[in-house]
Amino acid sequence: RAKAFATGKVIIEEEDLQEPLRDLEFALLGSDVEMTVAEEILDTVREKMLGEARAQIETTDQLVTEALHDALLEVISVGQFDFEERIAAADKPVTVVFTGVNGVGKTTTIAKLSEWLEDRGYSSVLANGDTYRAGANEQIGEHADALGRKLIAHDKGGDPAAVIYDGVEYADANDIDVVLGDTAGRLHTSNDLMAQLEKIDRVVEPDLTLFVDESVAGQDAVRRATEFNDAAEIDGVVLSKADADSSGGAAISIAYVTGKPVLFLGTGQEYDDLVQFDPEALVDELLGEE
Amino acid sequence: MVLDDLGSSLRDTMDTLRGKSRLDEADVEEVVREIQRSLLSADVDVGLVMELSDSIETRALEEEPPGGTTARDHVLKIVYEEMVGLIGESTELPLQEQTILLAGLQGSGKTTSAAKMAWWFSKKGLRPAVIQTDTFRPGAYDQAKQMTEDAEVQFYGDPDADDPVQIARDGLEATSDAEVHIVDTAGRHALEDDLIAEIEEIDSVVDPDRSLLVLDAAIGQGAKDQAQRFEESIGIDGVVITKLDGTAKGGGALTAVNETGSSIAFLGTGETVQDIERFEPNGFISRLLGMGDLKQLSERV
Ligand SMILES: Nc1nc2c(ncn2[C@@H]2O[C@H](COP(=O)(O)OP(=O)(O)OP(=O)(O)O)[C@@H](O)[C@H]2O)c(=O)[nH]1
Ligand SMILES: Nc1nc2c(ncn2[C@@H]2O[C@H](COP(=O)(O)OP(=O)(O)OP(=O)(O)O)[C@@H](O)[C@H]2O)c(=O)[nH]1
Ligand SMILES: [Mg+2]
Ligand SMILES: [Mg+2]
Repeated sequence: RAKAFATGKVIIEEEDLQEPLRDLEFALLGSDVEMTVAEEILDTVREKMLGEARAQIETTDQLVTEALHDALLEVISVGQFDFEERIAAADKPVTVVFTGVNGVGKTTTIAKLSEWLEDRGYSSVLANGDTYRAGANEQIGEHADALGRKLIAHDKGGDPAAVIYDGVEYADANDIDVVLGDTAGRLHTSNDLMAQLEKIDRVVEPDLTLFVDESVAGQDAVRRATEFNDAAEIDGVVLSKADADSSGGAAISIAYVTGKPVLFLGTGQEYDDLVQFDPEALVDELLGEE
Repeated sequence: MVLDDLGSSLRDTMDTLRGKSRLDEADVEEVVREIQRSLLSADVDVGLVMELSDSIETRALEEEPPGGTTARDHVLKIVYEEMVGLIGESTELPLQEQTILLAGLQGSGKTTSAAKMAWWFSKKGLRPAVIQTDTFRPGAYDQAKQMTEDAEVQFYGDPDADDPVQIARDGLEATSDAEVHIVDTAGRHALEDDLIAEIEEIDSVVDPDRSLLVLDAAIGQGAKDQAQRFEESIGIDGVVITKLDGTAKGGGALTAVNETGSSIAFLGTGETVQDIERFEPNGFISRLLGMGDLKQLSERV
């Protein structure tokens, strides 16, 4: 302390942090970062700042915001990998299964990713593991037609694992690089459907499981990401509907609780509305530092 | 849904008030903090949470508890009244001829809710028809057709047409013998100006008696801007909260109700056409606050 004083510095005490941390907590909650996640991130910041010396010209606010920036970036950068390199390196066919709750954008993301792969020279086949929802076959069928891809589908009520398995066999026989396996939307509270997801995971043994959620999701994002990850371990996350909402707190929540990277953002309903995720850009947006 | 946790956490906090006849500032602050936490973790808009909790705090400190009431009952009554003030009554839905327009974000559950509501009206003895105007989403026509078959109600759609406004016009005419017309629309969000303009056109052709905003129970803080935009463009008379069979608390719907000056109409609790409930505010609030019959308490106090 004496040393800090002599060098014109001030030691940061608990009471200096209270106001700025509270403000930041509300800012995080207002951006849809889940409450316990926000608290834990702010605790990290508090611990880091306590007893730190600051130069008299700096405000505690500034320092706390900088520390939060670093803490958020650390959370959201977790496990990042280059999706294209992963596809390139894997034995073909690469099987990718998409999971998530109802209506978040799984099927649309599959169509977009098929196009994304095509643009990079990888062929793909779509396999409709959603044998449940009304209009599911017609929906993915129209996408397959529009994109000129093969669709593997069974009648409504069929075994989802069997459809995706057929997709893998088709890809094997026809030298297709990637199998994109859809699943029906389900809520994590449905034991039957979560057990079915475990079965799909066990039978198909996908190379990659991508969990899709929407960027407009609020506090529940943590809960469902955790439960989907428990049922069929995920390798990465796609956050859809980023065009509807720019705050993106759900990305922080999901990355924090699963430790799995966000890989893509969906930014609209067209096939090219899929962008690779940029952790820095999200943190800047969260903290309003365009 | 929302208030579930408010119930249990309030009960815990309230227990610390047991036996007290007066509240000091520290007591009130603690209760208010609990209320804030519960509402925030239910996805209620941050600004609205602050408004509600300020109002509860001020009232708890300033209003004199009526003679013979414990401090605990006094606070409970205030919380109850503030929540009732926000949630209000269920959206009025007279059992008569009417046209209902559904609007909302992509994937929120509009098409499913259209079939569910049609099923609900048919159980009430009315003849409903669903009109599918979504020409954008692949498979939208087939989805609505299959679901209305499940619900055993009339359906109109045109898989080859590409003008939703024209489909709405043709659909109303083709189903003119139905008593309740439910018009489904494509998903859209607040920032899509062209799609907002489109639903305004549909709105003017359909001239609905009620426009309902369909919201996913899991929607976060974005609910406010979305609701505001739909209110501006077509006017919102009620909110349908979907996917309440999950763990999301549906606080976004409270935000939307506040933002649109409307109320909650229906709750969706599953994927099949029967998974729909009419929203019942009274029993609902007491049940979720988990404290017996709060209305009685409120009247007694
Ligand atoms: N604005 C926007 N809409 C999207 C995006 N991704 C998907 N959607 C829309 O969201 C709606 C639901 O998308 P689906 O792909 O059917 O979602 P899903 O997860 O497969 O749904 P289920 O199979 O019913 O669980 C559709 O209207 C899509 O067009 C996106 O990135 N932005
Ligand atoms: N579990 C559950 N799923 C629901 C509920 N309501 C809708 N869904 C599911 O949510 C997904 C999206 O529902 P849709 O009715 O297609 O949503 P939409 O708003 O019409 O979607 P777009 O037309 O693409 O904007 C589907 O998988 C539905 O089965 C509900 O109350 N509970
Ligand atoms: Mg789907
Ligand atoms: Mg629809």
